Amino acid sequence: MLWVAIIGLVMTVVAVAVAGRRALFLFKLATVGPPAPERIQYAKDNAGAEIKTQLVEVLGQKKLLKWTPSGVAHFFVMWAFFILLTVYIEAYGAIIQGAITGRPNFHIPLIGQWPVLGFLQDFIAVACLLGLVAFAVIRLRESPAKLGRGSRFSGSHLGGAWLVLFMIFNIIWTLFLARGAAAANGNLPYSSGAFVSIPLGQVLPASGLLEEIALLLHIGFMLVFLIIVVNSKHLHIFTAPLNVLFSRRPDGMGAVPEMRVDGKPVDFEDEDLDPERLGRGKIGDTTWKGFLDFYSCTECGRCQSQCPAWNTDKPLSPKMLILDQRDHAFAVAPYLMAAANGGNGHEDTDVLALLNKPLVGEEGVIHPDVLWSCTNCGACVEQCPVDIEHIDHIIDMRRYQVMVESSFPSEAGVMVKNLENKGNPWGMSEMKRADWIAELDFEVELVEEKMPEDAEYLFWVGCAGALEDRAKKTTKAVAELLHIAGVKFAVLGPMEACTGDPARRLGMEYLFNMLAQQNIETLNEAGVKKIVATCPHCFNTLANEYPQLGGMFEVVHHTQLLAKLVDEGKLTPITPIEEKITYHDPCFLGRHNKVYSQPRDIMSKVPGVQTQEMHRHKDRGFCCGAGGARMWMEERIGKRINTERVDEALTTDPDTVSTACPFCMVMLGDAINEKKNSGEAKESLEVVDVAQLLIKSVKTPV
Amino acid sequence: MNIVVCVKQVPDTATERKLRSDDKTLDRDAVDGVVNELDEYAVEEALKLKEAHGGEVTVLTMGPGKATETIRKALAMGADKAVHLIDDALHGSDALGTSYAMAQALKKIGFDLVILGSESTDARTGVLPAMLAERLGTPQLTLANKVEVDGSSIKIQRITDYGFDRVEASLPAVVSVVEKINEPRYPSFKGIMAAKKKPVETLGVADAEIDAAQVGLDSSWSQVVDFAPAPPRAAGTIVKDEGDGGAKAAEFLASKKFI
Ligand SMILES: Cc1cc2nc3c(=O)[nH]c(=O)nc-3n(C[C@H](O)[C@H](O)[C@@H](O)COP(=O)(O)OP(=O)(O)OC[C@H]3O[C@@H](n4cnc5c(N)ncnc54)[C@H](O)[C@@H]3O)c2cc1C
Ligand code: SF4
Ligand code: SF4
Repeated sequence: MLWVAIIGLVMTVVAVAVAGRRALFLFKLATVGPPAPERIQYAKDNAGAEIKTQLVEVLGQKKLLKWTPSGVAHFFVMWAFFILLTVYIEAYGAIIQGAITGRPNFHIPLIGQWPVLGFLQDFIAVACLLGLVAFAVIRLRESPAKLGRGSRFSGSHLGGAWLVLFMIFNIIWTLFLARGAAAANGNLPYSSGAFVSIPLGQVLPASGLLEEIALLLHIGFMLVFLIIVVNSKHLHIFTAPLNVLFSRRPDGMGAVPEMRVDGKPVDFEDEDLDPERLGRGKIGDTTWKGFLDFYSCTECGRCQSQCPAWNTDKPLSPKMLILDQRDHAFAVAPYLMAAANGGNGHEDTDVLALLNKPLVGEEGVIHPDVLWSCTNCGACVEQCPVDIEHIDHIIDMRRYQVMVESSFPSEAGVMVKNLENKGNPWGMSEMKRADWIAELDFEVELVEEKMPEDAEYLFWVGCAGALEDRAKKTTKAVAELLHIAGVKFAVLGPMEACTGDPARRLGMEYLFNMLAQQNIETLNEAGVKKIVATCPHCFNTLANEYPQLGGMFEVVHHTQLLAKLVDEGKLTPITPIEEKITYHDPCFLGRHNKVYSQPRDIMSKVPGVQTQEMHRHKDRGFCCGAGGARMWMEERIGKRINTERVDEALTTDPDTVSTACPFCMVMLGDAINEKKNSGEAKESLEVVDVAQLLIKSVKTPV
Repeated sequence: MNIVVCVKQVPDTATERKLRSDDKTLDRDAVDGVVNELDEYAVEEALKLKEAHGGEVTVLTMGPGKATETIRKALAMGADKAVHLIDDALHGSDALGTSYAMAQALKKIGFDLVILGSESTDARTGVLPAMLAERLGTPQLTLANKVEVDGSSIKIQRITDYGFDRVEASLPAVVSVVEKINEPRYPSFKGIMAAKKKPVETLGVADAEIDAAQVGLDSSWSQVVDFAPAPPRAAGTIVKDEGDGGAKAAEFLASKKFI
């Protein structure tokens, strides 16, 4: 019928126009800020890898499938969108053919009558329907009304989510109505395979009108859905693949990205550098990649459910961090875009105030307590199915707060001053950096300008490893193990300075640059090629961040080197340690650098050790609370993160807690001591580095 | 209001400090110089007063060439300009000589208020504020943990062993501050960049109309005759508990006449 085709096509043109207008608006808004040329460059240079990522992460849904029930449900709903495209081709074909020949018996050329396609269409529609049921059950079971803060949906737009589910449901039921009616009229292209539509045709009346109305409904719901999508969090179905394409690879962890102004890396020596433009202080300072993050967030709350800050009653939720910025961006969108077009005609002071609202502040978009609660642990980035880079947002906002506003927790100022004056966060004399060597009964070579000829590795001791009592034990254990294994190494002693990690994570990029350049110079002048580090923060900075400043070294963590030495038989653990041990994954070793197995391998080689994983481990490991320069700030809000972690460790009833990071040792050690004082932990419970376990087992007891 | 803050460069307290063997003065070249900690509080207070009442903050430092680092630091915090009193003739001045030289410089700069730290971490005489006030003929308000300026009068809260005194005087005046007074700001990068462009005037002995015969090592009233490093701390006594730990500890304390 002609009228069916006319209604169908007019609806389509209107809906596509409305959606297109919105798409143009979103594009213009996203590009008001500074560019991000490095993202495009990277995607171009790594086209092969990017295609693979699209296949694995987008089509294969790798990250979503980490959470089985909702992952599987999402997998089917998403694939329904792809496969049902063929149903829409058939639907449009049918209304057009109906108008021309009077009979809507269109089929796609070549494959259009293939029973396999008919089966696939029906199958995915049914699977999608089941997926919707699963989603509804998950939403009811995990509803914020029931679980409060504990719900991953707490803070999300719940109504919008239900509307989307309802709309998809409408698309599916009208699909079956249209296909069933077509089957009843003998218009369905399939004579077999469509295992739901064909039987449905047998019960439905043979009515042309029913088929036409069903077709229009099916198309109409899709068009309404399209408009809802581009105006809601469901936008992710278009933006998520782009966000995955332009996100950092392998993920938004490891290195902190270089600081840029207008897309160009900042040179602090540059006389013309505008100091007001460092980091992000207003929403308009966000790059299009940041906007893509806003557009891609589906409000699923996976990040929130993993965040150590959120889980200890702090105001930071990585989800809300993204949503609050997004909502603000939409609220000021017209003015932002006008300002970007050179228009400054806003006389209205209210508008100006809104436009220039600080991104961070008591009255800002993001509260300072939110910003400073983040430990940079990466749990959010690890889980986010659409590759949003929360840490990058946090760091860029911190940069502005610290370098432009000079507004940050005052306790951290002491650390910064110590780094500036003494090159270590505690402000101890650099001469003390070599003190631990005197406590050993063998020689350790010190680099005197050049690396000794026979030394293979430079042992990067780190500030904690050199100056902090608990960490010094690890340093000595590693030195002794290398000595026993016959690995030649040297240390920098007083010439070593902080890598700059705490400064960088605080947002003090300027100081990081100074320290990093100084260290790179020392290392290069000494002719260092290979480095072994005990501190995962040093390790991460040396391996992943120094290349940004031209420092190219082959860096390993001590657990990697020791595991290899054990494997090669150069270290043989023999003395049994009859203990139940639970291992805590340091975030900067695990999630940030994917070293999960080596520390565990070492422990498994020690006779007698019985390992017991905590509930949250490996990529879901729970932070100790020290990262992101939090080590140097007071923890005033909510439960202490280290206490939360030790509570979890205690559920495994361990004799010993092991880890592989000096800061984790301090944090967990402190919490364990508190537990001992309150009688909740046994007196003998200790936290040790895996290297300490290994040395104990390698040496025969005397 | 025209505020001058006196800022001294001192050796970092975390490093080993040495006196020179030749003239027995502090070996300033061998150590890292930092801003005397209390002077940061003085700068902060000056900036706060400026923010509240307007005016200008000038930094005054007497010291060798190296002290420019310290001056930049104070400028990065937000001071407007600086005067660097620098002359070989000043080397080795004692408190009397220093206060005379600085008073001359202050007269040249002009001021409504001079703010100092109450003590330096190197020489630690703590007398400079008083001596300066005396030489300048202005009221001295020392050990302030609170400062209020109202028109041409100044009120401070002066910490004492028994609590505090309220002291009031008219401007111009000399004030010294204690660390409880405020929380010094950390210079922002913006401040650091701006500091590079702020004016620093250098004054020599002649420029400040200082009589060279009254300053320097040779003219000092006090003199360092000899020095020796503090003896290393002796190892403590470890009491091992073998069931009689309490008795042994008590014995030890008794032997030292603590109990
Ligand atoms: C180890 C040592 C021992 C000394 N012993 C003596 C001694 O016994 N008798 C003696 O007369 N001299 C002594 N001197 C010399 C001393 O440096 C000078 O007397 C003089 O500078 C007094 O300063 P102060 O640091 O004690 O000042 P304080 O009175 O402790 O300092 C108070 C405030 O004065 C300001 N101020 C002090 N010096 C300067 C400066 N150079 N530039 C700008 N602001 C400044 C600062 O705001 C400071 O916070 C000694 C020096 C050293 C290094
Ligand atoms: S990095 Fe860790 S602490 Fe920071 S927002 Fe993400 S999950 Fe929370
Ligand atoms: S940021 Fe990622 S994980 Fe968090 S709610 Fe949004 S989509 Fe989900």
